[in-house]
Amino acid sequence: MSAARLQLAARAGGRVATHLLLYGLAVATVAPFLWMVLTSFKDLAEIFAYPPTWWPERFTADNYVAAFEAAPFGRFYLNSLFVAVTVTLGQLVTCSMAAYAFARMDFRGRDLLFYLFLGTMMVPAHVTMIPSFMVLHWLGLIDTYGALILPGLASAFGTFLLRQFFLTLPKELEEAAFLDGYGRFRVLWQIILPLSRPALATLAVFTFMGVFNDFLWALVVVNSQELYTVQLGLSIFRDRYSTEWGSLMAGSVVATLPVLLLFVFAQKQFIQGIALSGLKD
Amino acid sequence: MQRRASLGGLRLALPAALGLGLLAAGCGGGEEAEGGRTRVVFWHSFVNSTIPALDELVARFEREHPDIDLVPQYIPTGDALVQKLITAVRSNTAPDVSWIHADYLEDLVAADAIYPMSEFIDGPDGLSPADLADIYPALLTYASYRGTLYSLPMEATNLGLLYNRDLFREAGLDPDRPPATWDELVAYSQRLTLDRNGDGRFERIGFAVPVSPGTGPDGPWMVWQFTAFLMQAGGDIIDSGQTRVLYAHEPGRQALNLWKRLFDLQNQRQFSNEYQSTFVSQQAAMMLDGPWNLPNYPRLLRGIDWGIAPLPAGPDGPATVVGGEYLAIFRQSAHPEAAWTFVKWVASPEIQAFWSQRSGYLPIRRSVLELPAYRAFLAENPGLRAYAEQMAVARAQRSVDFSSLEIQRNLAVAIEQATVGGEDPGAVLDRAAAASNALLDAADRTAVAAPRPAPAPNGAQPVE
Amino acid sequence: MMAEVAAAEAQGLRRVASAAARPRRAPWRRDGRTAFLLLAPTLAVFGVFVLFPIVFSFYLSFQQWNLFSGAHTFVGGANYRAVFADPEFWQVFRNTAVYTLATVPLNMALALGVAVLLARRMRGKRLLRAAFFTPVVVSSVAAGVIWRWVFDPNLGLFNVSLGALGLPAVDWTSNGTSAMAALIIVGVWKTFGVNMVLFSAGLSGIPRQYYEAAAMDGARAWGQFRHITLPLLAPTTLFVLVLSMIGSFQVFDIVFVLTRGGPLGATKVLVYYLYEHAFKYFDMGYASAVAYLLFALLFAITLVQIRAFRNRGAGAV
Repeated sequence: MSAARLQLAARAGGRVATHLLLYGLAVATVAPFLWMVLTSFKDLAEIFAYPPTWWPERFTADNYVAAFEAAPFGRFYLNSLFVAVTVTLGQLVTCSMAAYAFARMDFRGRDLLFYLFLGTMMVPAHVTMIPSFMVLHWLGLIDTYGALILPGLASAFGTFLLRQFFLTLPKELEEAAFLDGYGRFRVLWQIILPLSRPALATLAVFTFMGVFNDFLWALVVVNSQELYTVQLGLSIFRDRYSTEWGSLMAGSVVATLPVLLLFVFAQKQFIQGIALSGLKD
Repeated sequence: MQRRASLGGLRLALPAALGLGLLAAGCGGGEEAEGGRTRVVFWHSFVNSTIPALDELVARFEREHPDIDLVPQYIPTGDALVQKLITAVRSNTAPDVSWIHADYLEDLVAADAIYPMSEFIDGPDGLSPADLADIYPALLTYASYRGTLYSLPMEATNLGLLYNRDLFREAGLDPDRPPATWDELVAYSQRLTLDRNGDGRFERIGFAVPVSPGTGPDGPWMVWQFTAFLMQAGGDIIDSGQTRVLYAHEPGRQALNLWKRLFDLQNQRQFSNEYQSTFVSQQAAMMLDGPWNLPNYPRLLRGIDWGIAPLPAGPDGPATVVGGEYLAIFRQSAHPEAAWTFVKWVASPEIQAFWSQRSGYLPIRRSVLELPAYRAFLAENPGLRAYAEQMAVARAQRSVDFSSLEIQRNLAVAIEQATVGGEDPGAVLDRAAAASNALLDAADRTAVAAPRPAPAPNGAQPVE
Repeated sequence: MMAEVAAAEAQGLRRVASAAARPRRAPWRRDGRTAFLLLAPTLAVFGVFVLFPIVFSFYLSFQQWNLFSGAHTFVGGANYRAVFADPEFWQVFRNTAVYTLATVPLNMALALGVAVLLARRMRGKRLLRAAFFTPVVVSSVAAGVIWRWVFDPNLGLFNVSLGALGLPAVDWTSNGTSAMAALIIVGVWKTFGVNMVLFSAGLSGIPRQYYEAAAMDGARAWGQFRHITLPLLAPTTLFVLVLSMIGSFQVFDIVFVLTRGGPLGATKVLVYYLYEHAFKYFDMGYASAVAYLLFALLFAITLVQIRAFRNRGAGAV
């Protein structure tokens, strides 16, 4: 065989190997999640069968029915969605405003303030939880949606991400706009933000994910079941004395879906956002 | 342009969402009476399967007391419950009445957060001495702190032996003769433990020793179960003067030796510590259990012929540890008398019978067992009957009044060290006892909140 | 995307040209007040829910504060001294360090490997990426539940698969080392997706010409990787490294659900220890001291990492 042919063959072989490796790894990564989904469709007896089965012998939606019957899961879902969407939108607003200030404006203490923001990312959440709780109590907001929403409306991470992104946008656009008489806010709203869709999408995905999946904070600030989020709702199926595996699996699948779907659809924007944000520089 | 239009839409959506959010921020739980009825907030951790029974109970209570609006709120038990209680007490948002555990009494009393029950019992709508005497004394022990009654039981439980009759038959054991002594427990376990395919790993074990991480959230639960064996050997956790722990003495050593022996015999290291799962999947033939799970069994144990037996008797005779759920009334309550109405009502004989039949818990009073309707109910429910009959030998573990959490934790860690860690039971118990006794020596015995003469209005607690 | 920026830029430049005759204002200097307005919402929320709690916690770390009773007294450095004197603290610290030192390199290597492989022309790239990102999206509670099942010594996927392959089963829950290994597996599984995405983004910023030029010079895959990819990826690598370290040191959720800190405290990590002291023993002062020690440690490590990268001449964060 000629050298060129050999090289082609090697490259093709390499490609096949790469494909196999990646697909294999992907399957291994998704396997536990797949198991969870499949288990959610088995009846209780089969969940505990030994040896364990992969594919349900008898597909049943009983667990889902049980989960929605046992607790107002629909309500929990709405709560989680409402809180996550509100916080996401709120963060998009506050972080873009703050990021613009850090990226484009010159004022005393700007850099110090920015590093202060960054530093706060290193303090573990459990420490700030009790004083935050106390503040919410003084404001009379315990066991309200406000307790779930307000603390999340600002984010050091979001500010950081957007600031890095804004830094990569050319200044000429704004300069021209100022010459045309645009004010700062208008520049932000009509020029900067439209160009920042990828970064905004990235922030939106991260924020939505974080809020939707939060458990500990919701546990601390919420008492009434009407305010329960999906993650709190899952805890109903699992306590010290027993675990209702079927409902727990079904509930977990239901709890994971929105964020997964969001990622699948926003994937391209998401990665573009990170790339263009110049986080790498 | 398309982009501008979509941004314009966003422009409207944003303030709307924020505004809604802030509006909604004001909504949520409130404390005011609704439609003229007195609102009583009741915190509980009833497992999911008990909720229908709870709903019936609440409905019946409100029918008989139309002026009270009883609001049950579910709080996940364990760490979550005590955390919520703390944050609620500190922030003046405590419920009117709540489940509590004996462990919490030390802190609750020190913070003067709950009423001593005497304020209600001795009051106009109180309980007679005969009534009080009808309640199992063991339950009242858990409800008290340093001799003063601070809560009333709502239901009773004890620990029994859940066993798989099919597996018994398969191993040639008589399913109507469950193990009655420690030695039989060991012998039966050996018979029931199997290695079918000869690969050196047991596919099934006889008795799942309930060991879990000592410092984990299940630590106190493990200690409670261990106490049953401690009492069967004639011992207890602590002495009556609260000066020395007793679990390192001979009874403790015997009990821990039994657990270790079973653990090692059955190679329990190779089994998951989700004991209920191992029983349901028929990998374990016996496990410790309580009546709270009975409502689950028709669904969970479908296909298994199960039975409940009294715990095997130890060197000092049969005994089991009593438990239950206790209700305390909080000083911050705006309507303590309404809360008391509920607590007293729940403790009455007919309601106890009703509650037991619906929830699967045991009644707190002896007289309930005399009611013919209840006797008939028990006849149809052999599982519950076994637990009910065990109440005769059910004892309360002596409560630890100082550093209760740490002292129990030391014991839990010792249990784990002796079993999973493979250490010598005597040595680990001595270590745990030494640490615990040091805590007892350092305890401040003077700080006890004296009961106030009259309930304070609105129970305002200064927040620091 | 780039086309839009270019178009806007062109439009802007045209504007600049046509406005050259008009008098210029200097918008950059009026900044103080506008900047304040822009920062106000963030600062308000931040100040109340982040800065105040952080400062208050620092204050708490010098107090003996029982959460239930509310009584508090100033004790100076006693909490900090008690932390250093507690053997459990050192065990916990060791566990966390082991976990971090194992997870971070594994995580980064896996993420980088996958990102590099995915950077080639590949069918199903989108699907693959979504697959790798799935663990990130699953909540820790759900993840812990699944993995508890997977690691079940008898019913679990892992041991059953090992058995099918003829390998001996592993006792995950009863052995300290294997429990830590289990935790590391779950930790890497849960977070490598994020790093993969970050590396992908970084890789996409390296111009193709470099690789083409190198290929023409005869460099092969591994050489290209070592001499082009790695150096140019350095800023991303630093970012991923810092983020991963901070995250690993603060691991809690999966420990809480999977191992509960057992067996015998072998998987108890720093934040779990902190959680216990705050919410089981209600000793907020002590817990705050632990938190601040953790913070100081992370801060120092991050500084060192940034310094180290800077010295290699690879650019700033």
